[in-house]
Amino acid sequence: MRPARLGLGLLGLAATAYGFLLVVGLGPGQLGSVVVWVVGGVLVHDAVLAPLVVVLGVLAVLSTRRWWRTPLVWALVVLGPLTLVAVPVLGRFGAKADNPTLLDRPYWAGYVVVATVVLVLTVAAALRRRRFAVG
Amino acid sequence: MSGRTLTGVAARIEARIPHTESFTSELRGPRTAARIGVWLGVALSVAFVTGLYSHASQLATPLVALPTAPSRLYQVTQGLHVAAGTAAVPLLLVKLWSVFPRLFVRPPRPGRELALHLLERVSIALLVGAAIFQLMTGLANSAQWYPWSFGFVGAHYALAWVAAGSLVVHIAVKLPIIRRALSEPVDDGAAGSPGSTGSLAPTRRALLRATWLSAAVAVVATTAAEVPGLRRVAVLAVRSGEGPQGIPVNRSAVGAGVADRLDDPAWRLRVIGPARTLELSLDDLRAMDQRTAVLPIACVEGWSASGQWSGVPVRDLAALVGAGSGEAVVVRSMQSRGAWRESQLPANFVEHPDSLLALTLAGRPLDPDHGYPCRLIAPARPGVLQTKWVHELEVVPA
Repeated sequence: MRPARLGLGLLGLAATAYGFLLVVGLGPGQLGSVVVWVVGGVLVHDAVLAPLVVVLGVLAVLSTRRWWRTPLVWALVVLGPLTLVAVPVLGRFGAKADNPTLLDRPYWAGYVVVATVVLVLTVAAALRRRRFAVG
Repeated sequence: MSGRTLTGVAARIEARIPHTESFTSELRGPRTAARIGVWLGVALSVAFVTGLYSHASQLATPLVALPTAPSRLYQVTQGLHVAAGTAAVPLLLVKLWSVFPRLFVRPPRPGRELALHLLERVSIALLVGAAIFQLMTGLANSAQWYPWSFGFVGAHYALAWVAAGSLVVHIAVKLPIIRRALSEPVDDGAAGSPGSTGSLAPTRRALLRATWLSAAVAVVATTAAEVPGLRRVAVLAVRSGEGPQGIPVNRSAVGAGVADRLDDPAWRLRVIGPARTLELSLDDLRAMDQRTAVLPIACVEGWSASGQWSGVPVRDLAALVGAGSGEAVVVRSMQSRGAWRESQLPANFVEHPDSLLALTLAGRPLDPDHGYPCRLIAPARPGVLQTKWVHELEVVPA
């Protein structure tokens, strides 16, 4: 058990060290930008996204009845990450005038449809839970 | 709990920072983290392995000969790569949520414990930083969005090793906690049983199921365009799959700066080999034996589309200039700039009869955006290496 854990740890350290060599090998011109994006990603999560979810959780507990909460968890867990995944296509930041085959779907319409379906299911589940709670 | 006593301003600031105990949701903690962690580990492993394969495919001279069949191989591995990375987004977010209170653990007193504490903190910071970086850059690259000043391929590859390595370290460090958490029931008895008021409060099982659903929804919405019949459900796919001659375009003729050079009647294909150098006109190429193959364009960005290509097998052209077996062919485009203006077709791909210098797609001359007058198309290769607007082939020792 112990040697296996130690071996795993050393293997991980070796791979990490190799990754560091590759990162440094990108050269001073790119290194700064990579560091900014790595650190920036952590900061955006830890200082913005995570506290925002904590606030949403507190608001939900303070302002909703119990039968709302599980459906709200489902809605947030499904729609939150999906929204982040959708940012590049909703913004169409990479669109090019010379290439109409890229980013060629009606993304906002698709996103609104998915979000509506999720929210309708959320309300339906909440109402079902309320009946269950009363009965 | 703080290991030392602070005074003055420091104490007042410290008092305002939440503690681990400030977070009261019972859904957080090892039982949630370990279960999501298992699937996050699976997703990241699939992304890492398929990423290594993609990286190897793009080397001019791979360390080992890569398989030339099945022709859809790269389509499948790269589709998996993007799907696994997309699934990892909800998994990582809920995983981080489940351990967020740990961020507020106060450092112990100086000494060995502090050193270990800092070491663990650094390894987790590396893991989280590298994982977020990989998912962010991968997603943006899929949509050809480059809001940074580093080269995507090099940085995504380097950070993949940092993420994979620090993930393995993290698993080694947490192994006892993971084993204990997985051996415990997901929820404590009362919370899950129907009829009790407890069943109205969110349970860990509900959170886990929501997370699996979230991963599935994200994957279907972005990559289902590859699955027949599901294309319309893929509302967030970077491509609808439409395009000239039924195939989407990664880089257009205008974008590559070759649009005004395609109709030049003086165009000749130069074929350079050990025995001689030939110059062939488009009519010369059309007069050679033609071969037809159904091959996919499979892009690193995760989309792919199959087409019926016809043209001259690369090995026939190489034979004309005296190439022996076991020699590679460098394919050069009319593009004067861009990282992909040249590619090297390894010897085992040259020998494959379906590796074509294609003149037609779906029975008609290539659209300018598909590489008119001729392009390389070979099985089981990344789309960026299927060089377009070809004007020169050179046989080189492998």
